[in-house]
Amino acid sequence: MRTSRLWTVLSFFVVLSVVLVACAPAAQAPSGGKAAPETGQKAGEAAAPAAEEGPKHGGTITFALYQEPEILNPALCTQTACDEVDEFILEAPLGVDPDGHFFPILAKEVPTRENGGVSEDGLTITVHFKEGIKWSDGQPFTSDDLKFTWEATMHPDSGAVSTTGWQDIESIETPDDTTAIIKFKKFYAPYLALLTYSILPRHATGDPANMPKWDFNWHPIGTGPFMMKEWVSGDHITLVKNPNYRDAPEKPYLDGINVIITPSREVGKAMIQTGDIDILWDLVEADIPEFQKMDGVVLSAPPDTGTERLLLNLADPTIDATDDPLHHPHWALGDLRVRQAIQYGIDKAKINDDLLYGKATLGTSELNLGWAKCDIPVSEYNPDKARQLLKEAGWIDQDGDGIRECHGCANAKEGQPLRLKIQTTSGNKLREQVEQLLVEMMKDIGIDLYIENVPSSVLFGSWASGAFRKHGHFDILMYTTTYGVDPQAHMEGYFASWNIPTKANGGRGFNYSRWIDEEADAAIKEAGSSPDLNERKAAYQRLCERIAAGLPHIYLYDRLELNAYRTRLHGWVDNNWMDIGWNAEDWWVSQ
Amino acid sequence: MTKYIIRRLLQAIPLLWIISVIVFLLLQIIPGGPMAAYEQNPNITPEDMARLEEQLGLNDPIHVKYLKWLGNILRGDWGYSLATKRPVLQEIGDRLPNTLLLMGVAFMTTILFSLPIGIFSALRQYSIFDHVVTTIAFMGQSIPIFWFGLILIMIFHVGLRNPVTGRPLFPARGMVTLGKPFSPGDLAWHMVLPVTMLTLFGAGTYTRYMRSSMLEVIHLDYIRTARAKGLAERTVIYVHALKNAALPVVTIIALDLPGLFGGALFTETIFSWPGMGRLFYRSAERVDYAMLMAIIMINAALIIFFNLLADIAYAYLDPRIRYD
Repeated sequence: MRTSRLWTVLSFFVVLSVVLVACAPAAQAPSGGKAAPETGQKAGEAAAPAAEEGPKHGGTITFALYQEPEILNPALCTQTACDEVDEFILEAPLGVDPDGHFFPILAKEVPTRENGGVSEDGLTITVHFKEGIKWSDGQPFTSDDLKFTWEATMHPDSGAVSTTGWQDIESIETPDDTTAIIKFKKFYAPYLALLTYSILPRHATGDPANMPKWDFNWHPIGTGPFMMKEWVSGDHITLVKNPNYRDAPEKPYLDGINVIITPSREVGKAMIQTGDIDILWDLVEADIPEFQKMDGVVLSAPPDTGTERLLLNLADPTIDATDDPLHHPHWALGDLRVRQAIQYGIDKAKINDDLLYGKATLGTSELNLGWAKCDIPVSEYNPDKARQLLKEAGWIDQDGDGIRECHGCANAKEGQPLRLKIQTTSGNKLREQVEQLLVEMMKDIGIDLYIENVPSSVLFGSWASGAFRKHGHFDILMYTTTYGVDPQAHMEGYFASWNIPTKANGGRGFNYSRWIDEEADAAIKEAGSSPDLNERKAAYQRLCERIAAGLPHIYLYDRLELNAYRTRLHGWVDNNWMDIGWNAEDWWVSQ
Repeated sequence: MTKYIIRRLLQAIPLLWIISVIVFLLLQIIPGGPMAAYEQNPNITPEDMARLEEQLGLNDPIHVKYLKWLGNILRGDWGYSLATKRPVLQEIGDRLPNTLLLMGVAFMTTILFSLPIGIFSALRQYSIFDHVVTTIAFMGQSIPIFWFGLILIMIFHVGLRNPVTGRPLFPARGMVTLGKPFSPGDLAWHMVLPVTMLTLFGAGTYTRYMRSSMLEVIHLDYIRTARAKGLAERTVIYVHALKNAALPVVTIIALDLPGLFGGALFTETIFSWPGMGRLFYRSAERVDYAMLMAIIMINAALIIFFNLLADIAYAYLDPRIRYD
């Protein structure tokens, strides 16, 4: 008690100082770079202190979200917060384990060619469900519910946000209550990922044409370990143990989970210190030192699939959304040697050590995790080589101001200084600090990098709103994108030459670098046409190698997925492929 | 007077219409737009985007969008939130009582504290009391409200404990304790910190208004006359001076009242109070047209109404003012 009192007083000053010196975080991070012993634990270790006691039944935990779910129908939701809550209530045929491999949840086994679940041509998938599964209202779960999920998602008036994959299904047959035979119109490589979408109950929803008005949207009924008791708008969502859960009454161990909304992250931090809340969702890198020192709190920090990168514009930024970047190259970045020089000039390890407390892994490729993970070595930090490359490319500092100018370079006017704009989302402290390091590093090799940050709604704006990212009016962007367990849509969207946003295609696609590479295109097509995960993995490896050679993106560091929980909570297992509560039925509390 | 009120109410109609047109146009040019939330997701194909835009009616020309909205409003249909898909009035109905409770109580405590303090401070001009009050009032207006809220939580939730139960002295969030049956005492306990925060910030302003208004009046001739007649000081101040000094303050209070409906974003954010301020902020973030239009139009109507109310109150309090 005494120590906790002391701690509260200390933490008061810590937060006070954080508030006061919010602009100078480096000063209050003396322990930076030193990994805390309690971070990044796996399941066994987390439960270790009380392992001899074994899991106990009972207890309610409090889970704080700073963002309130808008709606809980997974077909309509666009936020992470809604997925986080749905994870406790709804279930899918398959899940993804911490290593990025599929495992069965509602299904008996993962369909493969070997077990007859996948036909030779990959067009027919047979899913066998576990027997005796019930919805939380006691109604039986059947294969017809999978069929309904497809019908509802595809109904033109449903308002479902994504029909990717579902639209490639020709029919779903349900010969009996535990078997579903899915027939695809054409081969759809991420068919297993499609089976990780939550199933909607036919009996407890309504007419698909009326989906936005379903009562289910605010009171979902699922097969998961918990069910919803109450949702008070803007305040909390109460979840209680599902008595019809398939492992009941043994699991779930907890009686309930209170999901509370604390819109201020600072208040959330204060409340996890006092034990008012047990789980604090979605921290940022700047929080690491504070949580490393916090008593009774574990910082969970597995790497995320998101990699912070520089996205370079290879096309002329003065032309609106050109479809011909090869004939209209960027005046500086259109030259591969300049892009290589930038990568050689960046000390990625310094960014990690100085700003991320050494906890991140250095960025190497788009696919840093999962079954499709690429093997690409970390780029070398070599400013001499960078200077050499810039000189070869015709960028030489003749006037002695420390900035190189074009003297015989390929695409710029003679004498034009090498001055490039970097842009990211404004208000993100870590990104702003990274930018400042980059400015210094680029200055060292004679490139004048200048910062012009914009709000995220502007950076990520739509084609119709004229967003400069979509229309190609930029030099260098810095941000993170994440991919799901099947990276095909992501890789094709970002790197295929047919996904350059132009007027002709109405701004579709995410190839903002306007990078064109025939071998990359071929690898993307191959990865999207094989039902064999090993073949696909090899194709992605080739694609990553082409990206590393052509450098449309320069990967800086892999983002961490940061959450914190109290030590009284046991059974937590880091899994960045699913949401926090992916194994909530195994959670228990020791007091 | 009745004629005047009717005329003012009729004038409000074109005014509200003009406001609705301007606000509608301004919302359309918010960068990003409601589809920005979908842009980053590679699983949402351009076909999906086009289908959703069509469904949400985003493809119509602006004037068609506006006329649709206006037509629905005239039939009493405020539409559905883009984000939550719930009826706009239901969303507002969920939050408004919470906001009115918090803001109403805070407003009353603000008035209760600031008016007597302002009067006293004017009567004892340049006394120690006056200096202290003035300093606190200025501090209240200049401390960043967000920071002050966090400090309150750090002291009264994290730092100090109830000596009997050992639990935090005051809760840091929400309106009620989860898992307990509702009781007014629990609600009041949850309101202490946010009301304190709002009172400190509001009271500074009102204290200053009351003080300067009172100072102006007590140096006027008729107060000297009242004293010369030999009236008791109490009668001079509380009957003769206060009645006139209260006039401008009443106007300000009437004009501030519609603000109560808008909630207080920072206070609601810090203390997780489910009110209108946060609803408006979320709607703005998501560019939720129907929600934004409803909240802004209701606020505009309230402001117009309370302006009228202030004018009427003025005529009632000051016999020199006539509107006919």
